[in-house]
Amino acid sequence: MPKGEAKRIFRNNLGAENPVFAQILGICSTLAVTNVVENTVVMCLGLVFVLTLSNTVISALRKWIPSRIRMMVEVLVIASFVIMVDIALRAWLPDISRQLGPYVGLIITNCIIMGRAEAFAMNNKPWPSALDGLSSGLGYSYVLLAIAFARELLGAGSVWGIQLLGRDNIFAAAWLEGWTNWSIMVMAPGAFFMLALFIWIVKGLWIKPGEQKGCAQCRK
Amino acid sequence: MSVSQAIRERVRPVLFMLGFSVVAISLVSALHLATAAAVERNAGLFRQRAVMAAAGLTVPPRPAEVIEWYHNAVTGPDEDQPYFKVSDQAHVIAHVHPMRGQGLWGTIHAMVGVNPDNGLITGVSFVEHNETPGLGARISEPWFEQQFSGKAGPFKVVPEGTRSQAKDEMDAVTGATVTTTAVRDMLNKLMEKH
Repeated sequence: MPKGEAKRIFRNNLGAENPVFAQILGICSTLAVTNVVENTVVMCLGLVFVLTLSNTVISALRKWIPSRIRMMVEVLVIASFVIMVDIALRAWLPDISRQLGPYVGLIITNCIIMGRAEAFAMNNKPWPSALDGLSSGLGYSYVLLAIAFARELLGAGSVWGIQLLGRDNIFAAAWLEGWTNWSIMVMAPGAFFMLALFIWIVKGLWIKPGEQKGCAQCRK
Repeated sequence: MSVSQAIRERVRPVLFMLGFSVVAISLVSALHLATAAAVERNAGLFRQRAVMAAAGLTVPPRPAEVIEWYHNAVTGPDEDQPYFKVSDQAHVIAHVHPMRGQGLWGTIHAMVGVNPDNGLITGVSFVEHNETPGLGARISEPWFEQQFSGKAGPFKVVPEGTRSQAKDEMDAVTGATVTTTAVRDMLNKLMEKH
């Protein structure tokens, strides 16, 4: 791996080529799981795990996978890892598994995983592919956590189930008692508003127009 | 198309997919079999905890204590008795009924305990539901489950935050009318029989 490659992969996936706000991938889960921080964290951990391993395995097998059926193979690898995560949660973390319900299975349909397998893992060696999977997963995670934090705080007055605003807040502060929850924030429209705001702010303030050329790896 | 080309383009992909599927399925099945006992144990323990909570008792954190309590205190359900009979030293303290109702996204399953002496609810514990996280799913929060203890129904719904102590009123979950109504109907159906 050329020197500085790892740093470049991380910088791209966390910043200018971030899967959520630059490539607009994985939006379904961004909208679905971000109403409560706790669910979001488990979803992100599951995604980082599956994405890193599936990228590594697909990259290791890339010379043997017949190109005609490569997508079938990719889906099979991804689905196997997701089912393993689901089984492991059910056996060892039953409470979290019960709370997440169908969300774990939904990792299979996250387009970021398939996207990274196609765009990166099929053309690169296993170690850079693992880093690419890890950094894409982290890039996805911090965006989701930011959105989930805002939605849970405004929608339920809490973060990770700890009441910060409104009645029974942990500060026992009288001036916070009058807080009214914005119920729309925990429903689907709230997710659209928060995601749009996030993308608008990031693209407006942080990413300069020159950097928005799209994904350099995808064009290879 | 020559024979070797046909093998490379037609036969090899099929064989590769077949072989690879067998490997993937074997790995997943092995993990499933290795954890099947633990999954089963978790499910059993979860049901026992729910029965204990519905009987109005405090659930101890250690699994062994729950299992031992259940073994000594609970009988049923069987053919003549469609509920769990919970006793405390030969005195029956609660009949815990497994109930179900149609929520917004799927069936809500709950354990509802009723004191056979006075017909009051000892506790409610929601076992399984697919309601919206942050809205309908809040029926599993302690304040919602615990509000029914000592009440008799049939219930009227009052706004969330009322913290009603009246025997026939229950607080709603704001933004989850369908779920709240489903819970109300489920409880009323049971309480009519008592």
